[in-house]
Amino acid sequence: MDLAPLVELRGVTKVYREGESERVVLRGVDVSVARGEFLALLGRSGSGKSTLLNLISGIDAPTTGDILVDGTAVALLSESERTRFRRHRIGFVFQFFNLIPTLTVLENLLLPLEMIGRAGAAARAEAETLLHEVALADRRRAYPDRLSGGEQQRIAVARALVHDPELILADEPTGNLDGESAGVVLALLARLSRERKKTVIAATHSAEVAGVASRLLVLRDGRLAPA
Amino acid sequence: MTSFLRPSILRRASLRSLTLHPWQVGLSVLGIALGVAVVLAVDLANTTARDAFALFADTIAGRATHVIVGGPSGVPEDVYRRLRVELGVRPSAPVVERDVSAPAYPGVAFHLLGVDPFAEPPFRSLGNPETPGGLRPLAILLTRPNSVLVARDTARRLRIAAGDDLVIRVGIAHRRLTVVGELTPADELSAQAFESLLLTDIATAQELLSMGGRLSRIDLIVAPGAAARETLARIGAVLPAGVDVVSARARADAVEQLTRAFRVNLSALSLLALVVGLFLVYNAMTFSVVQRRELFGVLRALGVGRREVFILVLGEALAIGIVATLLGVGLGIVLGHGLVRLVARTINDLYATITVSSLAVSPGALARAVALGIAGTVVAAIAPALEATVTSPRAVLARSVIERRARRAAPRLGLLGVVTVGAGWGILRMPGGGMPAAYAGLFAFLLGAALLTPVATILLVAGIRAVAGRALGMPARMAAGAVVQTLSRTSVALAALTIAVAATVGIGIMIQSFRETVVRWLEASLQADVYVSSPSLVSNRPDATLDPALAARLVSAPGVAHANRLRAVRVPSPGGAVQLVALDADARGYRGFRLKAGNANTLRDDLAAGAVVVSEPFAYRRHLDVGSRVRLRTDRGEHDFAVAAVYYDYGSSEGTVLMSRAVYDRLWDDREISSLGLYAAPGVDVEALVASLRARAGADADVLIRSNRALRTASLAVFDRTFAVTIVLRHLATIVAFLGVLSALTALVLERSREVAILRAQGFTPREVWRLVTGQTAVMGLVAGVLAIPVGIGLALVLVFVINQRSFGWTLELEVPARVLAQAVLLSVGAAVLAGLYPARRLSRLGLPEALRGE
Repeated sequence: MDLAPLVELRGVTKVYREGESERVVLRGVDVSVARGEFLALLGRSGSGKSTLLNLISGIDAPTTGDILVDGTAVALLSESERTRFRRHRIGFVFQFFNLIPTLTVLENLLLPLEMIGRAGAAARAEAETLLHEVALADRRRAYPDRLSGGEQQRIAVARALVHDPELILADEPTGNLDGESAGVVLALLARLSRERKKTVIAATHSAEVAGVASRLLVLRDGRLAPA
Repeated sequence: MTSFLRPSILRRASLRSLTLHPWQVGLSVLGIALGVAVVLAVDLANTTARDAFALFADTIAGRATHVIVGGPSGVPEDVYRRLRVELGVRPSAPVVERDVSAPAYPGVAFHLLGVDPFAEPPFRSLGNPETPGGLRPLAILLTRPNSVLVARDTARRLRIAAGDDLVIRVGIAHRRLTVVGELTPADELSAQAFESLLLTDIATAQELLSMGGRLSRIDLIVAPGAAARETLARIGAVLPAGVDVVSARARADAVEQLTRAFRVNLSALSLLALVVGLFLVYNAMTFSVVQRRELFGVLRALGVGRREVFILVLGEALAIGIVATLLGVGLGIVLGHGLVRLVARTINDLYATITVSSLAVSPGALARAVALGIAGTVVAAIAPALEATVTSPRAVLARSVIERRARRAAPRLGLLGVVTVGAGWGILRMPGGGMPAAYAGLFAFLLGAALLTPVATILLVAGIRAVAGRALGMPARMAAGAVVQTLSRTSVALAALTIAVAATVGIGIMIQSFRETVVRWLEASLQADVYVSSPSLVSNRPDATLDPALAARLVSAPGVAHANRLRAVRVPSPGGAVQLVALDADARGYRGFRLKAGNANTLRDDLAAGAVVVSEPFAYRRHLDVGSRVRLRTDRGEHDFAVAAVYYDYGSSEGTVLMSRAVYDRLWDDREISSLGLYAAPGVDVEALVASLRARAGADADVLIRSNRALRTASLAVFDRTFAVTIVLRHLATIVAFLGVLSALTALVLERSREVAILRAQGFTPREVWRLVTGQTAVMGLVAGVLAIPVGIGLALVLVFVINQRSFGWTLELEVPARVLAQAVLLSVGAAVLAGLYPARRLSRLGLPEALRGE
């Protein structure tokens, strides 16, 4: 097993300008996330959890500090390099599912594969396998608006995994689900990431998420601390 | 993965998103389709009319390279004899021709063409004349007096058969002809060219047209090369004064040039309809991007690049453009069938007689419309596509942040708008700027106006909110306030609507200004009480003549105190044929002239001394002013005339030169009269005088005797016919604007269903929701309508004082009718309220849980 951390943040600070004033969201965050680890980021609303995920994925850039994902300094990449980086190496699970409403369930899964140049029967088989894994194979032709919230989030989990990224970033993955659905989605995320040896960083309020994580960190006043 | 074709799933998602809002996409498609249809219809109508004329001119001119022409009296017959006998110019053919009408076929213009059958073969291919009994038709023409051949299609259409009599009207006389056979065209093209042709031999034509010893022209074929110049010089040497040899091509081009301004103007107005359509596409695409900001954010987070998002949006526009353009092409062809008749009628009224029997759908016009529709749609979508690429992948920005940014950007955009309008003004004022500069300036003006819309909306809504809030309370304040609170979405829609409605205002004011100017001009220039003329096939070319005996009888009628005599002819000049008017009048006859330049007090003396006055369009076209000189070819040779004044005249876009009859008589041999202006003796009732003059002329006399008022009414009828095409275009622009208001506002309201559901949850009744929603759309309609007024007036200023001036050379007085402005506001508010009805109904019926969850 490779012992080098997959994600490494060193002295990461993020400051937002709001008109004349500044709001410091992250203050010198240092953290390492090992391969295969399931890290839960806890914290109140507005504490900077989502910001941290955005920085790791290259969606946003830090004000200061370094972010390394599998040895790649994300912040130093150009805009198009960061886009390609996300396309190949990150899987996202959002709070509001954010499936593409004009694509069927199966097409939503095929999209990340097509974007990395994998199309055809093999890609389709991969997507079908994951649909079976999330127990929604019979809904492959349905559009997202025909699915319940729990079902949509299961598809979102499958979409995050389908193109085989090293890192899954989940932003409040159960934040918009009832207790039962949340439990199902969470169990699915934990099982699939474990089976496929994926690293997961999940921002959450939820105690259930915390329950399946291998490590818990709390973001408070812009700093990370063990829970 | 940067190619447009990949990933196919992304493309599929994008195209499916179009089908999610079929009404929104449908109305956009209809808007652009109408724009394309208008452009194509005008293009087809213009091309058909122009080609009809060119084809006819080619048939009449045949393969002639040069033409010998004379003044109003034509060419002496002796010239032809000298050409053939003395100079040995064999490829020459005499022609006697004129447009004539037939009382039995009102509205049909015939062209009587008298030729010498023996000289014809190298010149014209007149098909295969067929006569019953197999007699050689040309032989019949020569041997049987007053016989004619009629084009086969014309004969069938009018049910004329060989052996029938055909009575034609020449001036005020009626002449009986015998149809002896048909001209069978060799192909479809010739069939169109032969339409309306009456072929006869030259002697018959001379007799029918009272042109004994004279010819209309002599056609020549001069082989190109070094010898051509020498041949032409030899021919020129034997020509009498007032007779000249000119290039056949230049002669045919003259009418093409004449009608060009008219056609260009129509094309410009049709393009305006397309610009309105494109603004609506811009609005629809921007809206669709703003609506999907969240989706683009997700796609960007998943690794979709900016370029792919850009191509995705452009691809959607391309799909809309293709569908809309195909629909527009179909609509355009249908519309073209109607427009071509209006265009042909206007050209008949103003310039020359043409017959158009069907619309020619040229591949070139289709290609232009397709290119314009598709490329225009894609260009209109570039800005929204760029907007989509800057969507942050940081999921979605808070809506309030976006709206705050939009409000903050409004003053900056306004400033940019002022600069753009200023740049447009600069382009319009550019010395030497032609029509392209005029259209560039016009476009900059419209763009600037669109940029000014957000800041103007903020100011206007503040006023509406205060007034409506005081009168109608909280719901009214909410309805008005929502327009500014959602400025990121409403401002683009409002800009598009303002431009759309402004286009209808601009064209409306332009037409009304033109009409009012003509009304005032007619009031001032028609000084006599009764006007007498011979019916003419081309309304504004009174070149038909009055019978001198009849004229004398009318002038000496009881109740007539005084008469002006007017002769209108076309005379040659080195710069092409010129419309000349010779006036024999006392001081009263000159009172009607309103001068743009020159001294009105000395006008009569100047004319008596041999000077001329020229109309404003003539001065504009030939760059003349007081003191310049005009060279005309008279029957005594070329002569320079000093320009004493420039007068306002809206009767001819070609322009007119006016001189005293005494001067005309000294320099031309023509002694005909075209029309009379009669002054009633004091105390004589004008209508009674008209009746007595008609009685004096006799029931058979084909002469128009009209009171001042009747002539004015008839002239305005011609004006209204001339503008029929423009009015149709304005109506179409109005429909496009209406569709725009409808689609933009329906989309905006539906998009706010969640917000409305929150109000319902808080206790708003369905009726209150309905009032709120329609109130909001009404406010937007009002804002667009009110903003469209200054923009429309600005557009009218450009149309009236720049584009019209550069096209025709006319100075018009700006007339801003309250009716046009009220129509604009009503159109805008009416369409807006209508746009609110469907969403209001849908939203008030929407299940609350469903609506609260959002779309």
